[in-house]
Amino acid sequence: MRTLIPALAAVLGLLLAGCATRPPADDPEALAEFRENNDPAEPFNRTMLDVHQAIDRAVLIPVAKAYRTVVPLPVRDGVRNVLGNLRSPVILVNDMLQGESRRAGDTLGRFVINSTLGLGGIFDVAATQFGVRGHTEDFGQTFARWGAGEGPYLFIPIIGPSNPRDLGGSVADIAADPFTWFGQGIAVSVATGTRTGMTVVNTRTGLLEPLDQLERGSLDYYATLRSIYRQRREAEIANRIDRAAGAAASGTGFGAGNDAPR
Amino acid sequence: MTLPSRRAVLAAGLLLTGPAMPARAQVADIGRASAFIQQTGNDLVAAINDTRASVAQRRERVAAVLRKAVDIQGVGRFILGRWWRQASAQEQAEYMRLFEETLIRNLSSRFGEYQGVRFSLGRTQQRTEDDVLVNTLIERANSAPFALDWRVAEVGGQPKIVDVIAEGTSMRLTQRSEYSSVITRNNGQVAALLAAMQQQIQQMAAREAQTPR
Repeated sequence: MRTLIPALAAVLGLLLAGCATRPPADDPEALAEFRENNDPAEPFNRTMLDVHQAIDRAVLIPVAKAYRTVVPLPVRDGVRNVLGNLRSPVILVNDMLQGESRRAGDTLGRFVINSTLGLGGIFDVAATQFGVRGHTEDFGQTFARWGAGEGPYLFIPIIGPSNPRDLGGSVADIAADPFTWFGQGIAVSVATGTRTGMTVVNTRTGLLEPLDQLERGSLDYYATLRSIYRQRREAEIANRIDRAAGAAASGTGFGAGNDAPR
Repeated sequence: MTLPSRRAVLAAGLLLTGPAMPARAQVADIGRASAFIQQTGNDLVAAINDTRASVAQRRERVAAVLRKAVDIQGVGRFILGRWWRQASAQEQAEYMRLFEETLIRNLSSRFGEYQGVRFSLGRTQQRTEDDVLVNTLIERANSAPFALDWRVAEVGGQPKIVDVIAEGTSMRLTQRSEYSSVITRNNGQVAALLAAMQQQIQQMAAREAQTPR
C-alpha cells in the first residue's frame, strides 16, 4: 500500500501532463471529433503504446513465435481449449447477470460436456460434436449492459486498449473466478501463474498476424487500434460477434485466437 | 466478363422488384443486394484465382470489379469527413485518385495470401430503409474462415458497396479515424495525408511484386 500511493500519484501526474488539448469552441466539427474519439489522455496513451510495443517486441512476440514453433498445433489447440474452459464459470456468471438465459445454458452445457467428455477441456467436443459454439463475456460487458459508461479511452502496456469500465470489469472477472479462490499452497500458486502466463502467450500467438498486418497497413496505428477496440467492444456488448473464443485473457476486445491463425 | 454479370444483376433486380413493387429509386432491396454481392464476389474470386494471368492483369480485373461495385466517391468523401471541405480542389482530386488506388492495391498486394480463396453467402438483412447488410464467409487455405459483412446501398439506382464490416469493425469508420488522426497530427495539413497515402501505395506495390507465381 505504501508504495502504491506514490505510484498512483505518479500515474495521475503523467495523465494530467498528457492531456490532449481540447479544440476551441468555434470549431464545432473538431470538437465533435474530439468527443467522438473519447480520448482526452491521448498523448499519455500514445506514450503507453510506445512502452507496450517495446515490451511486445522484446518479450511477447519472441515468446509467442517460439511457442508456435516449439509446440505442435494440436497441443496449442488443447491449451486454448483448456483456457477457454477454465473461463467458463466467469462467462456463465456474466451471461446470467445480463439475463441471457439461452447463452447461459450454452455456457453451462459446454462446461459440463467439455470438462468430462472433453477430458478436462482439452477437446471442445461441445462445439465439434454437439454444435454448441463458445462465446465470451466479461464484467466490462455486463457493466455496459447495466448502463455504465465506458469512460475515457486508455491504453495500458501488456493489457492493451481499455477504459475504466473494462478495467474494473477485469478486476471483477478475477474476483468472480472460482479458481481464484480455489485452494492454497505452492501447487495452486504455480497452477494459477501458469494459467495467467499461458493466457497471455495463447492470446498473443493468435494475434501475431492480425496485429502485424494492422500495424503495417495503418497510417496511424494508434488511431486504428483505438477505433477498432471501441467498435469491437460495442459489437461484443450487443452480442453481435458470436465466434470469439472463451479463452480471451480479459475483455481486451481482440480476438481470442479462434478465428486467427494459430 | 461484364456482360453476364450485368445481366445477372439486372435479371435479379427485375425479378424481385419489377412486377411486384412500385419502383422506389433509393430503397435498397434485400434480394437484389445479395444477388449483387454474390456476383461481385464471384467476379473478385475469379480475378484473384486466375493464376494464368499476370499480377498486373489480375489487378486490372480486380480494379474493374471494384470501380463498378464500390461507391468509391461516396466512401472516399465519408472517410475524409470534415477535412474534405478544407482540402483544395486539387487536393480533393488527388485524394480520390489515391483512395481508389489504395482500395485496389490493398487487395492486389495480397493476391498470394488469398490464392484459392472461396466465399459463401450468408443471411442478408435490412439495416435501414436504404441500407442492406449482406453476410459472407471467406475461406482460405491454412487459416480459419472469417466473416465479412457488406453494407449495400442504392446509389444512382444501382446497388453499391458502401462499407465492409469484419468482426464488428467498420472499414470506413476505422479508416476515417486513421486519416483524420494523420491530418490532425500534421497541423491540419491534408497534404500530409496525401503524402502518407502515396508512400503506403508504394509499399503495397512492392509487396504485390513479390506475389508468388
